[in-house]
Amino acid sequence: MQTSELLNSYSVDPATWDEMYSDLTVRGQYRGVVDFMQQMSIEELNKKEDLAKRLFMSQGITFTVYSSGEGIEKIFPFDIIPRIITASEWKYIEDGIKQRLKALNLFLKDVYNSQFILKDGVVPVEMVYSCPHYLREMHGFHVPHDLYVHIAGIDLIRDHDGTFYILEDNLRTPSGVSYMLENREITKRIFPDLLPNNNVRSVTDYPNILHKNLVSLSPRQTANPNVVVLTPGIYNSAYFEHTTLARLMGVELVEGRDLVVDNHRVYMKTTTGLQQVDVIYRRVDDEFLDPLVFNPDSMLGVAGIMSAYRKGNVAIVNAIGNGVADDKAIYTYVPAMIRYYLNEEPILKNVPTYQLGHAEEREHVFTNMQKMVIKRTNESGGYGMLMGHTASDEEISKYKMEILKDPRQFIAQPIINLSSAPCYMNGKLKPRRIDLRPYALCGPEGIQIVPGGLTRVALREGSLVVNSSQGGGSKDTWVLAQ
Amino acid sequence: MLSRVADSLYWMSRYMERADGILRMLKINYASSQDDIQEFSWMPVLRIFTYLDEEGAVKISNNTRAVLQYMVTDRENSNSVLNIITRARENARSVQDHITKELWQCLNDFYHIVRDEKLNLELHKDDPVSILDVLIKQGMLYFGILDVTMARGEGFAFLNIGKYLERGVQSADILDVKFSDVNYDLRRTDTIYWKYLLLSISGYELYLKTYRSAFDARNVVEQTVLNDEFPRSILYSVVRVHRYFDRLKSERNKEAFQKIDFMIGRILSKVRYSTVESIMDQGLHAYLNGIKEDLYEVGNALNQNYFAYT
Repeated sequence: MQTSELLNSYSVDPATWDEMYSDLTVRGQYRGVVDFMQQMSIEELNKKEDLAKRLFMSQGITFTVYSSGEGIEKIFPFDIIPRIITASEWKYIEDGIKQRLKALNLFLKDVYNSQFILKDGVVPVEMVYSCPHYLREMHGFHVPHDLYVHIAGIDLIRDHDGTFYILEDNLRTPSGVSYMLENREITKRIFPDLLPNNNVRSVTDYPNILHKNLVSLSPRQTANPNVVVLTPGIYNSAYFEHTTLARLMGVELVEGRDLVVDNHRVYMKTTTGLQQVDVIYRRVDDEFLDPLVFNPDSMLGVAGIMSAYRKGNVAIVNAIGNGVADDKAIYTYVPAMIRYYLNEEPILKNVPTYQLGHAEEREHVFTNMQKMVIKRTNESGGYGMLMGHTASDEEISKYKMEILKDPRQFIAQPIINLSSAPCYMNGKLKPRRIDLRPYALCGPEGIQIVPGGLTRVALREGSLVVNSSQGGGSKDTWVLAQ
Repeated sequence: MLSRVADSLYWMSRYMERADGILRMLKINYASSQDDIQEFSWMPVLRIFTYLDEEGAVKISNNTRAVLQYMVTDRENSNSVLNIITRARENARSVQDHITKELWQCLNDFYHIVRDEKLNLELHKDDPVSILDVLIKQGMLYFGILDVTMARGEGFAFLNIGKYLERGVQSADILDVKFSDVNYDLRRTDTIYWKYLLLSISGYELYLKTYRSAFDARNVVEQTVLNDEFPRSILYSVVRVHRYFDRLKSERNKEAFQKIDFMIGRILSKVRYSTVESIMDQGLHAYLNGIKEDLYEVGNALNQNYFAYT
């Protein structure tokens, strides 16, 4: 049969954890999918792949690349084979993320108010004050319910022995959740009945939970608080996500120019005059939010919104100034935060991280550059990083010069051999490296994590970089009920 | 509703109506070009629907394929179907949470169809009618989905105001240019000429049912301006604008509403209480031009009172 050939050609690197294969046998959680695929011919699978592409295109789940003055519509690559997580793996991830978020939220409250953790010397003061995302404007101000992180997209990876590690905490405006939702819709279309037959938990509750949380933050006690999603506009690469979330929650999608502040209250401009806004789920970064306080050139924000926020007349989600907690240098101290605030041992491990601001650690990194990945503490999306094992000597020495200019801005981590999962590529199954981003929602009643998430794939052979800006794709992510 | 959203819905709708009008008109003029002993001239079409100067228009006016490509897929022509659909889609994209998902997908598909390089090639060498039909059908799908799925709220009112304003202007334009082409000579009895004019606005069958007799330019004017049962007539369009604007009545924006309501009411009376004779006394061109300017005024007033957000 053609398809057993499909499986036979799948060769896993023995030094890598493969999500589907263990010692050349199919892991229990993948058996249903493998059986299903074996009933299909290559032609059928190609047809499925084609249908997936057409569905993305027709729904406008695209981003625009501008070249020679004309926009070209592209879809984010989608791999049709799901990534599968067992119930026990999920339980472990869920517990770990909840614990971590609890600590991070307490850290934000502390660092912007009493600063116990700094006074006790658990986190060095200079680490916080040298962070560009630490905002004095947030000092001594109580956010509603003491909640800073309402939506988190924490990135996890798996090492060669299958251990999960936290790669980074995204606590500002994490994106990608619309792909979690849309990828699932596509799977429903291309593989009828496969989801129920495999006991896959549903992710469709996400917008409802988010909406409930947003409503509960309203400073005005009214029956129908006015909740809006604030987008930078249609040219933003995540615009599709902003409109999806607004649609699924049934709330207004606004741009900065739709809002105006009067007497420390935020209003939106409607066809029948101004209407007060209570809760803003903003997808605009801190520095662009208020031209009076932050970047004065910003066209995306609303003048005076910060004063309305500080007066408590509008709730802003996520809170402003969260960047100090997901800074790559502060990351090192999260396990210490968990011990300090919760008196618990961290469930999920950090990737060992070297601070290049620290002379001894820098020396160690400089002598082991080939084994390291070096990142800028204030960049995300895979920009500005150096992968030691593929960089040329010239690139390395140039990067070292950069580091020495301002060592605080850099961290190094040993290169983790990310786990691999099967991808369907040109009629063959190929192992490709993946990560995992579950989405956690924190409301006044606690933390909820929708069972699923975004699995990003490094589509280039051997590549360890999964970011979409660096040629990554995504997979539907299944969490099994048992 | 956000002012920006109302603005985008209104323009999305105007662009879709414009694209539909252009496509139908191209299809019929193409048919007419195959039915003419003399060399067919696209001059009137180019005058109504493009911004080409006289020289530029003359250059292609006898080349059917060149005109079709220019009007449908040319990226340089800001009024080509491709560019109109692109603008409609840009507007739709920014209000995706206010139109149904089906409507967005349909418009998005339209965009991908009209941008396909294959279409341009086919337009060059295959049967143009089949290609225009594909596009017209996609437009019909849009109108159908809009009617079946959209909630009858404020957004729906703005969509229809945009649509019928555009249609009123378009019908006035078509009539004016077609008559200018024959120097407003109402005695012209050239059957084929009037037949294709009516066909291009889907009014031929109604004409036969109403007048039965041979073609008379006065009847053509009467049907296109004054017949309130003809969905492309100016009167019908203005009645619709009036009806949908009335739904925006609200305590919160009373002054603006009354002002624009008055403007539309005045246009409506002007059209309703015209006769073919009174139009001819005034001069067809002056009359149509007056209506067009009044309709543009309504557009400007909406802009100032309902869409202002920057």
